[in-house]
Amino acid sequence: MNIHEYQAKRILKRYGINIPKGDVAYTPIESRRVASRVSSRGPWMLKAQIQSSARKKGYFLEKRTGSGGGIRKIQKRTEIIKNAEQMLGSTLVTIQTGPKGKTVSRLYVEAYSRIEHAFYLGLAVDRVNATLTLLAANTAGDDITNLAINHPEKILRLPLALEGKTNMPQVKQVMEFLKLSSKSGNSLKRLINGIHRIFLDYDATMVEINPVGVLKNGILVALDAKISFDDNALYRHPEIKRLQDDDEANSRELLAAKYKFGYSEFDGSVGCIVNGDGIALASMDMLSKQGVGTACFLNVKGGVDKDKIASGIKIIVSNPKVEGILINILGGFLRCNLIADGIVAAASEVGLNVPLVVRFEGTNKEEAQEILAESKLPIVMADNMEDAVKILISKMEAME
Amino acid sequence: MSILLNSATKVICQGITGTQATFHIKRSIDYGTNVVGGVTPNKGGTTHLGLPVYNTVAEAVSATGASSSIMYVPAQHVKPAVIEAAEAELELVVCIADGVPLKDMLEIKSVLRGSKTKLIGPDTPGIITPNQAKMGIFPENIHKSGKIGVVSRSSTLTYEAVLETNRAGEGQSTVIGLGDDMLIGQDFVDILKLFHEDTETKAIVLIGQLGGTFEEQAAEYYRQLKNPKPVIAFVAGSAIPFGHKMGYAGDIITHGIISAQDKKDALSEAGIIVVDNINDIHLCLQEL
Repeated sequence: MNIHEYQAKRILKRYGINIPKGDVAYTPIESRRVASRVSSRGPWMLKAQIQSSARKKGYFLEKRTGSGGGIRKIQKRTEIIKNAEQMLGSTLVTIQTGPKGKTVSRLYVEAYSRIEHAFYLGLAVDRVNATLTLLAANTAGDDITNLAINHPEKILRLPLALEGKTNMPQVKQVMEFLKLSSKSGNSLKRLINGIHRIFLDYDATMVEINPVGVLKNGILVALDAKISFDDNALYRHPEIKRLQDDDEANSRELLAAKYKFGYSEFDGSVGCIVNGDGIALASMDMLSKQGVGTACFLNVKGGVDKDKIASGIKIIVSNPKVEGILINILGGFLRCNLIADGIVAAASEVGLNVPLVVRFEGTNKEEAQEILAESKLPIVMADNMEDAVKILISKMEAME
Repeated sequence: MSILLNSATKVICQGITGTQATFHIKRSIDYGTNVVGGVTPNKGGTTHLGLPVYNTVAEAVSATGASSSIMYVPAQHVKPAVIEAAEAELELVVCIADGVPLKDMLEIKSVLRGSKTKLIGPDTPGIITPNQAKMGIFPENIHKSGKIGVVSRSSTLTYEAVLETNRAGEGQSTVIGLGDDMLIGQDFVDILKLFHEDTETKAIVLIGQLGGTFEEQAAEYYRQLKNPKPVIAFVAGSAIPFGHKMGYAGDIITHGIISAQDKKDALSEAGIIVVDNINDIHLCLQEL
């Protein structure tokens, strides 16, 4: 689960990390009011609150938004309302949102910080070494991902403890690596300790401050903040779960989440129902090899039964992009007749006006075939994934 | 021969009295697995499915001489269960549960680093040595005893890989699902090593997927082997577009964004046979 910058900054503040004065605003007038409160003369920063990196380089789909991106520096008080009007309600596209972008429903209005220089600080899990790893780098204008590929030696990686505080030698190491002056020592200690504690206290999966600004007096300030939390540990943190922004997901995604399904949408035309991430990816690969894109995949995960399949089919057919459905399920003790029952139940309830091909492996396959045949629905059974994909594509072409 | 599990392996079940455990452990016993007891706190001294139940893993081990444990405990209880198994010095622990919190796995991995216990999973169908023993939730009927080792990071594609070995007219020496999760116990390198040393295994099918650098590690290991056994690999995720994520930290950890094609290239450069279509695996096996 991701949260917005303004929510992340509130958490940082609670952990004693410096952030510029700012607050969230939902309307242009509120934006101006917040601006006056956080700085008397400006400049100010207007920051679109969508959950994505690279908002500054992003662009809006609407023409009325002017030429600015999702993060704007505003010099004059009179410009605040105009820019807030342009940004609020508009659709921001970044390298991380996909071409559809995300609607901006709130802004973070913040006092502009005059900084001497800036650096990257992140905390994430190294999967191969199974360690919590602190990442730090002087970016100096270079893109941090470019640095990761071309100059990995310019990024410091430090494994942090899973309990207690960051130890002082490690803070010192970061300080030397980033060539910070001793004036920044206490500030850096508080910053690293803070994100370390946040990660462990709230079961985060990633904390990123990009960039950290260094003020003239050496004090460090978090100019941006991103925190992702572990969905599997939200049961331990009801206060974090409440921060979830439902506007970040569409209605089908919310419905799928309600059933604890995995669900993702893409730009193609086939809707897939599967029971694992690997098989979802493999089905998409197979479709793509045959020249057809995936509209969405729904991972019903374990414990597949009649009702789950029926709810899954209903979600998939409500996606207007879907022109054909592939059900590809490889179950442990799955009884295929129950799946067939679920398909028939959903089809009779919502109607089935697109071709549907089913491939499953499990017991009672023959019984399932009979159920589907008797239903007289346009459903085909296939023996393996490759055949299923080929049959579906030929059926979809025949519909055109 | 097989790796990690055979008909003689003494297995206990942690959480044996639960509904899921009862269902699956009964099937494992029927399959021939040497299940010698179970563990459920506060139910020690009772019997379940005709097996003695103990309060702790340590008690179960001293009473039965078990070396391995299959656990059917809910995700939020996995951490203490694995740590208990490691403290009892079990050789092999298989964890089926999905949804184990990442921080719990970080702590589990840190405990396992100093122990002799091998963890398979979490979020895995488990391990099966056909016609001998099964720890996990595999459908028994698709497995045939044979000479192909199967190791997969994707649960469901494990079955797909097994079906491909059958299509080729072969069977499996041992089949292992490593687990779909971000952090897992055993990885490709651990299992490739064991298959490499196993005289019965003549070739290996490896199923990778997007995320992390486990396939890259496997390639690196395979490259330096002398007289390696043939490995046929598939990596799921070629068609997945980038995007829909937050922050850069994950990409920095892996030294940049890694695509399924990057993984395929790494495996292929190391001398592993890589297929683009998972349903071509049987063809490659027939050509060996």
